Amino acid sequence: MKKRYRLTYFIGQAIKSLWRNGVMSFASIAVLMSCLVVMGGFALLVKNINTNLEKLNLMNQVVAFCFPDAKEEEIESVASAIEKMDGVESFVRVTKAEGLDNMREQAGEFKSIYDDINEENNPLSDKFVITYRSEEDVTNLLYTLNHTEGVRTVNASVDIAKAVLNIKNSIQWIFLGFLVILFVVTVFIIINTIKLALNSRRHEISVMRYVGATGWFITLPFIFEGIIIGLVASVIAYFVEMVAYNYIATSLLSGITMITVLPYKEMGLTVFLQFLAVGVGTGVIGSLISIGKYRKS
Amino acid sequence: MIEFRNVKKLYPNGTIALDGVDLKVEDGEFVFIVGRSGAGKTTMMKLLLREERASSGDIIVGDYNLTKLRNYKVPYYRRELGVVFQDFRLFKDKTVYENVAFAMQVVGTPTKLIKRRVPAILNTVNLPDKGKNFPSELSGGEQQRVALARALANNPKIIIADEPTGNIDPKMSIEIMNLLMKINKLGKTVIVVTHEKALVDYYKQRVVMLRDGKIVEDRVGGMFK
Ligand SMILES: Nc1ncnc2c1ncn2[C@@H]1O[C@H](COP(=O)(O)OP(=O)(O)O)[C@@H](O)[C@H]1O
Ligand SMILES: [Mg+2]
Repeated sequence: MKKRYRLTYFIGQAIKSLWRNGVMSFASIAVLMSCLVVMGGFALLVKNINTNLEKLNLMNQVVAFCFPDAKEEEIESVASAIEKMDGVESFVRVTKAEGLDNMREQAGEFKSIYDDINEENNPLSDKFVITYRSEEDVTNLLYTLNHTEGVRTVNASVDIAKAVLNIKNSIQWIFLGFLVILFVVTVFIIINTIKLALNSRRHEISVMRYVGATGWFITLPFIFEGIIIGLVASVIAYFVEMVAYNYIATSLLSGITMITVLPYKEMGLTVFLQFLAVGVGTGVIGSLISIGKYRKS
Repeated sequence: MIEFRNVKKLYPNGTIALDGVDLKVEDGEFVFIVGRSGAGKTTMMKLLLREERASSGDIIVGDYNLTKLRNYKVPYYRRELGVVFQDFRLFKDKTVYENVAFAMQVVGTPTKLIKRRVPAILNTVNLPDKGKNFPSELSGGEQQRVALARALANNPKIIIADEPTGNIDPKMSIEIMNLLMKINKLGKTVIVVTHEKALVDYYKQRVVMLRDGKIVEDRVGGMFK
């Protein structure tokens, strides 16, 4: 005789049970969902910080300014000096004309304030944007640059970059701690939901045992319960995240031209898949723990 | 064949429920297990179901040595047994048909086969027209017959009944007992725990008497005449 177990049976049992313990099921989904939204929000924040740091060229870069009235050959001698320095990954020359264009561009709708400035009276100097290999090279590099003929001043944003990195790292740790607590609470609530489900089916389970149901047949519906909790929570979290992110991006940050906000669409699939993995994973872990406890008692 | 070999059962709280039980039941036998409350009858049934493990001694059921049986094999072993309890243990929210079908679904029986088999079993227990009823719509005797149908669902070789008539009025008890006899005639080994003297005497079957965890009598033909 061929034995057949239907997937629909297990899923049906799981849904029935979730429905029966509605309040706990709702609580599990709500808490897991919040957890995912916080986690996702944090990940998106970090991604945006990284993008902006890169864009602002704050990372691993110093800028050496020449004198405003420097001759072309003086500037070229600075270039060849930089070329010979240790720890230089690459460098770019930005002429004063380009510098002016950049300023106009950044000013956006206010660019008319630069209307009076032209090639003749451009107060800017030519500059070199130097990317260095590693933090360790910076001190030497700065010293050498400062003592190079034709270099007026060196603008190292090393401190700013470090500060931003530090802030990023602290945020990271605070969020991580926060997340761990949230996930512990979530798992705890899911454990209780499944335990309640197990309890309300105690009678049924004891009969199942007497007629020879295998352990996995008895426990699979409860694992499906965890999976469904995780699934529903991740889907809702995805949309909540989208709405929250787009709200913050459009209504709070859109006026600030300095900050680039990555579009949600670009990251949506990754966010969704990660939510799904973490959500379903948490649900399954919760069920497995409560099943384990139940089996022992 | 069922065999208890010098079986002792000591509960964790120190109670000695069985104290050296030796018993052999051949295939197709009908056996009453009798004794006062606390004599160890239910403990024997629990050991047979492998709900509890013997503290020492061996229990052999067919090809299974319960002392050595691994936990994951227990479900398969239990499919060789059908159990009936004093309190029926039916699902109130399932119909009679669903209650019986449940036992088959749980072991993965195809729906087609379930549809064919459940009416036949309900016929065996003389409830051919009650499939669509809920347990609450049936008398105690009828409910116990549904429980018996469920015990038969997976076609076990052995039927175990712990005080099956304990919650049923005497007239209905006869009916249940007759059914158990009928099932025995169909070739199944039947073990019935009871303390109802009249019934035991009426059927003149093998009677095993327990007292304080020991078998004190084992003979055929009634007990209390
Ligand atoms: N789970 C248990 N834990 C401790 N003692 C038990 C347990 N089950 C039964 N007993 C004791 O074991 C003895 C035999 O009980 P039981 O097998 O239920 O007897 P019977 O079914 O003949 O009335 C009794 O003294 C009872 O109190
Ligand atoms: Mg008893």
